[in-house]
Amino acid sequence: MDKALIPDGVKRSPFPVFAGWLLVLFAVIGWGVYAGIVVLLKALNVTGLNDYFGFGFYITIDLAIIALGAGAFFSGFLFYGMSRFFPALKELYKIINLAVVVGFVCYTGALAVLLLEIGQPLRGWFGYWHANVHSMLTEVIFCISCYAIVLVIEFVPLILENRKLDAIKPLHLFGHSLHEIMAIFALTGTFLSFFHQGSLGGVAGVLFGRPFAYRTGFFIWPWTFFLFILSAVASGPAFTALICRTIEKAGRKQLVDRSVYDLIAKIVAAFLSIYMVLKIADTLYWALDLAPSFGFKLTDFYREPYGIWLLVVELIVCGIIPAIMLLIPQARARNGLLFTAFALTCIGVVINRFVMTVQALAVPVMPFDSWQVYIPTMYEYAPGIAMLAYCALVISLAYRYLPLFPREKELNPH
Amino acid sequence: MSDNGHTQSGVLYGMAIDLDKCTGCMACSVACQAENNISFRPDESNKLRSITWMEVYYLDNGAEHPDYRFSYLPRPCMHCNAPHHSPCTFVCPVNATVRDEATGIVGHIYPRCIGCRYCMVACPYHARDFNWWDPAWPEPMEQMLSPKVSTRMRGVVEKCSFCSHRLNAARSKAYLDGLEMSEVTYTPACVEACPSQAIAFGNLLDEHSEVARLAKSERAFRLLSKLNTEPKVYYLSRHPWLHNLANASL
Amino acid sequence: MKFGRRAFLQFAAGAVGGTLLSPLPWKLADDSAIWSQNWSWRPSPERGLVSKVPSTCLFCDGGCGIQVHLVNKKNAIYIEGNAANPVNQGGVCPLAASGCQFLYAPYRVSQPLKQTKARGDASGFQPISWEQAIGEVGAALGKMRTSGNSQGLAGISGRPRSSMFHLWRQFFSAYGSPNLFQMPSHADSLELACMLTLGHEATPAFALERASYVLSFGANLLEGWGAPARMQSVFGQWRQERAGIAQPKIVQIEPRLSLTATKADEWIAVKPGTQCALALGIAHVMIKNHLYDDFFMTSQVVGFEDWIDAGGNTRQGFKSLVMQNYAPAQVAEWTGVAAARIEEIAGQFAAQEYAVAIWGEDGGKTPDNIYSDLSFLALNLLKGNMQPGGMVSLVPPVPLEVLPEVQMDQWAYRGLQQPRLDLTQTRQLPLPGNGLYAFLDTINRGGSPYSVEMLMIYEANPVYSLAENRLIKEALGKISSVVTFTSYMDETALQADLILPNHMALERYDDVIGLPGVPYAYYAVSRPVLPPRLQTKHTGDVILALAATIGGTVKGSLPWKNFEAFLQSRVKGLAAAGTGALAGKPGVQPWALQSGQAPKSNYKNPKDLWNKLTSGLCWYGPPVDALQQINTASGKYELACVSLQNRGVNVEDAAVYLPHFAPLTPSGDAQAFPLLMMGYRRLNISSEYLANPPFMTKTLWDFLLKGNDLFVEIHPETAKSLGLKQGDRATLTTPEGEVKVRIRIFAGAHPGTVCVVHGLGHTAYDEYIQDKGININDIIEVQMDPITGMGTVWATRAQLARA
Repeated sequence: MDKALIPDGVKRSPFPVFAGWLLVLFAVIGWGVYAGIVVLLKALNVTGLNDYFGFGFYITIDLAIIALGAGAFFSGFLFYGMSRFFPALKELYKIINLAVVVGFVCYTGALAVLLLEIGQPLRGWFGYWHANVHSMLTEVIFCISCYAIVLVIEFVPLILENRKLDAIKPLHLFGHSLHEIMAIFALTGTFLSFFHQGSLGGVAGVLFGRPFAYRTGFFIWPWTFFLFILSAVASGPAFTALICRTIEKAGRKQLVDRSVYDLIAKIVAAFLSIYMVLKIADTLYWALDLAPSFGFKLTDFYREPYGIWLLVVELIVCGIIPAIMLLIPQARARNGLLFTAFALTCIGVVINRFVMTVQALAVPVMPFDSWQVYIPTMYEYAPGIAMLAYCALVISLAYRYLPLFPREKELNPH
Repeated sequence: MSDNGHTQSGVLYGMAIDLDKCTGCMACSVACQAENNISFRPDESNKLRSITWMEVYYLDNGAEHPDYRFSYLPRPCMHCNAPHHSPCTFVCPVNATVRDEATGIVGHIYPRCIGCRYCMVACPYHARDFNWWDPAWPEPMEQMLSPKVSTRMRGVVEKCSFCSHRLNAARSKAYLDGLEMSEVTYTPACVEACPSQAIAFGNLLDEHSEVARLAKSERAFRLLSKLNTEPKVYYLSRHPWLHNLANASL
Repeated sequence: MKFGRRAFLQFAAGAVGGTLLSPLPWKLADDSAIWSQNWSWRPSPERGLVSKVPSTCLFCDGGCGIQVHLVNKKNAIYIEGNAANPVNQGGVCPLAASGCQFLYAPYRVSQPLKQTKARGDASGFQPISWEQAIGEVGAALGKMRTSGNSQGLAGISGRPRSSMFHLWRQFFSAYGSPNLFQMPSHADSLELACMLTLGHEATPAFALERASYVLSFGANLLEGWGAPARMQSVFGQWRQERAGIAQPKIVQIEPRLSLTATKADEWIAVKPGTQCALALGIAHVMIKNHLYDDFFMTSQVVGFEDWIDAGGNTRQGFKSLVMQNYAPAQVAEWTGVAAARIEEIAGQFAAQEYAVAIWGEDGGKTPDNIYSDLSFLALNLLKGNMQPGGMVSLVPPVPLEVLPEVQMDQWAYRGLQQPRLDLTQTRQLPLPGNGLYAFLDTINRGGSPYSVEMLMIYEANPVYSLAENRLIKEALGKISSVVTFTSYMDETALQADLILPNHMALERYDDVIGLPGVPYAYYAVSRPVLPPRLQTKHTGDVILALAATIGGTVKGSLPWKNFEAFLQSRVKGLAAAGTGALAGKPGVQPWALQSGQAPKSNYKNPKDLWNKLTSGLCWYGPPVDALQQINTASGKYELACVSLQNRGVNVEDAAVYLPHFAPLTPSGDAQAFPLLMMGYRRLNISSEYLANPPFMTKTLWDFLLKGNDLFVEIHPETAKSLGLKQGDRATLTTPEGEVKVRIRIFAGAHPGTVCVVHGLGHTAYDEYIQDKGININDIIEVQMDPITGMGTVWATRAQLARA
């Protein structure tokens, strides 16, 4: 059965090894599901959240994973939308399937965690029914769930490419026709994604009662709206590349041409650089103009454990340094440096999402308030880790049973 | 809509708390709990998870003995009057918390709240509390629950409502008595309970109301007015250190 | 197989598509949301009509008018102040606002309980019927009496300012026991001070409503002193902005920066226990600068100048004593207040027309050193405050119907002839008052000439709230039978053999006779606002039933049908006196009345008065000037306590007659216990009979109580010298015992002191109350006043060490 499902002409690890790996993942997922059920039954008091930290680990990991999952929409946008004008981008077709799968798992995983995060998950759909058009969160709810549907639609033809499913004629036809119109979905997804990546930034940026997070902006969108889009655009493809590299390492074979990584590196370099220029400009404007106008100094915002080191690591170590590394062709050419730069980029985005969520709340606004420290409990990180395990699970299954990499067969001739 | 984003209306309820009169006796906070069916737990010393609509803060001037002084600052919801939206109503994805532009009261609809806590995150005054547990009263204390205010369920946010159910009752009465709606006055539980008459409540737009007069006092200030949240709760004190503290940076 | 899988796939796809297109998922989503909005385990308040029933609050001595909100006339949901009541003017304190939590407290005693195991074992309480309970107690009382030991009945009563106390006294007298005591209060020592100076038992009252300058010697005006809600209301008035009118100046003289101190205009951080010396220092400056009414002080006062005693010897007068011993330089040394500052305060105090000196640390909960009371009275006398219409008058008596004369039989006569048990070890007290501590001391020492067989405790929780409560615990062990009349299963009830549960305050008739420190006459009646929830019985009715069971003259002395009838009979006297009126609507200002100027009466007859009192109106009358009813042998204010001559006081000591600074030294080695522990109270912690309700506990800051840990306050320097940091765990040791606490470094604490809040550390009740913090009364030390035998509390030597 297992053999029958594996795509033609590719080599996969023996089933027992794979089954063992699945078992590990299922154990982690089981642990997370247990924690999640406890949260649902006993309510959120089992978490480390409180009235001071209304947002915590759940939101941080959701924001981070959605930013990292942005590879799907952005690769799609470049491949389906931009490659007409920049034929070089056609290269992306070699990795686009993986990008879609990564996007799919990131978004569906994030939605699952989001259900735990809200106190009344049964009313989660009120966001559609009683929508407040002014709320950035409404924008997020709409765009994320719509985009998740788009990702499902994008993922389905991939699944149908499975050897056994493809053999079924109607399914083959269905999958084929979906392929034909995929550009439409990719571009719809692009549109939705730009919006929700932005509105996730808007979630923090519109908090005019929170000087740490608040930003002025353009029309209804605070600057964080655009910064979140850019940082997601920069880090998403980097994350996809990292996943691809991880699979290559695990499978001990090449799955995409080196040129693909090189192309992604150029893309990341370009957008990370733009992002960093704007982010630094934003930080300077915030630290020197906006916050002082509310009576805050930059140093008011940082106190251990949420020290200024966070800003240094986010902007310099995980921002400027990888941007420079990726801008230098010699560095790009060396795998070690290339993937280090990708990893730093991703870490930088995760720190950014953490800072905009947790630190934004740790900073006391009323002068007689006190600094608080947020410590998540097992009931928060277990579902988070399980969500990552779920991502790994789906990617593993997809890699094993679906022809994700069009060049795999050619790159690994028997 | 007028230029400042508010519908024109003759009523804007606000509060003025005289900190020179306040003795920190906590009667306001207790009356609020009784009036609004606020739940309590055996241990309420984790203030980060304690539901308190009228929270009384302890402030001090930071000086050394014998110049050290402290004061109390009762903090209800500020019912922010920022243009277009209060910080919290702006962000609620489900319109569970909205500001009634005809009264200025920021309400919260518990059965609609999905518990995302975005409003808590948005509020710089920590005026909002989350129901981390299923509220429960020891037997037989359920008998003292007021039918005028619904109890909340776990997983929703709650906060001071300026006792808007009392406004509704006063309006019903005014309607029956054939009086003008805009002239309805009412008293929230905290104001009523305060034994040193430190809290005034009324229509800020009515120049003759005590609260409007106090809001213009030289002793008046507002918390974090620098954030442009336009709180409708005014504080009064003759002590400069309290004025400074209200808007100081850290 | 192949067909099956294919069919299955088709079926599954169809099912998914069909379900999504059907209304089912949407309906389910909607239903589940509706379910989440109507969870059955979410308490649903009973709906119904809300009505308001006016009454009088009994939770403390403050006498506030309240309105209880009822749903369907049976569930009490909320207590608000009665705006027509001049005391609280519509406001309430947090205790009253929490009142319904006592009505519905899980720890209420629901029926008579008899201990069948060892005392203190909660599982040993067996419910019994009221008939059995009253029958058993009545039979035991009858037997004690006929066996000639009626004096073996003792009583400790709370709520002394009520007709219930008068009923208890009537019962004890008719029964034949002199051993009825009250829970201690500042009134105990004040009454004796007035006895010495004015010749009759009274307590001083202060016209704070019209004060322009208040010199408060540690009086916790905002933390329960006097009538708490009246003080809150007065404070609000003091701080009311009035164009062109200066606000009164409040000067708080106290070691610790209390709430009152921080709210005052000035805080004078005096050394612990030296307020009396400062008062005399101020008197010194006033005398030195001749800032007093010479004619008054010589013509109306005995002992200001040197005087001649009964033996014909010339004795030193107050003037000479103060000039000799209390020069600012000397007082500065004692008090830590600079001499120049003393001169300045004295000047301000003397210059202000409406200046008044008030005192009473510990919120009036414990008696003061008699010489302190006398000194503060003397300062007011010197200021001219005791003159007619002055700032200091007496709490006016309320002309209620006097109880009928007690009928005596031989047993009663014999019993009352026996010595009251507040004896001290060596001699009869010179000035006996409410000597509860002397009584406990006698029992514990085995110094009683007869055996105490039964102790009745009414509306009090001495096992918890009595300072140095070890004394009562020990005494209970020596008394064979303990009967408590309480509504709650408190620490004292747990130690009882029999609990006869009283109706809770909102379920019964009761009254408030006069208000502590309030210059106008006051009377208010509490009525049942709802029927009793449980199988409880009004203690007044229980007393009457016991009297009936004993029969004879005891029954004859308590002839009332029930407590309500008793109260009605008392109100008849009030109606007949015609010296007061009812406050029926907001705005009545009884404090504006002049002495002897009775307001126009506004009730028709006793019945009408009763009806109005029970519908929430209070009765008020004019103030009584201090010198109006002087009863001393000289007919003057006896600044020198001449009457002490006849009371066996050591006449050789000149100072014994005069107000002077005579601190009682705490026991223990000052080396081993280098700190002084002092208690303080807060209005949002109930520290007496009632336990802290959950509503109030919620308002406690986390730097006072965190989990079950109580924080004690110490000065930063003290902390430094002890090597303690903010939040550290420490052991607090006094000669009485040790407890575990945590440290709060507080710049308002006096160096060398450790301040502990009263009212926490209960061991009884439920999980919302018990084990939170420590009970300071466990480790506090009481010093007995050598003149009055009263237990005074000011400081206990202590030591703090990191735990």
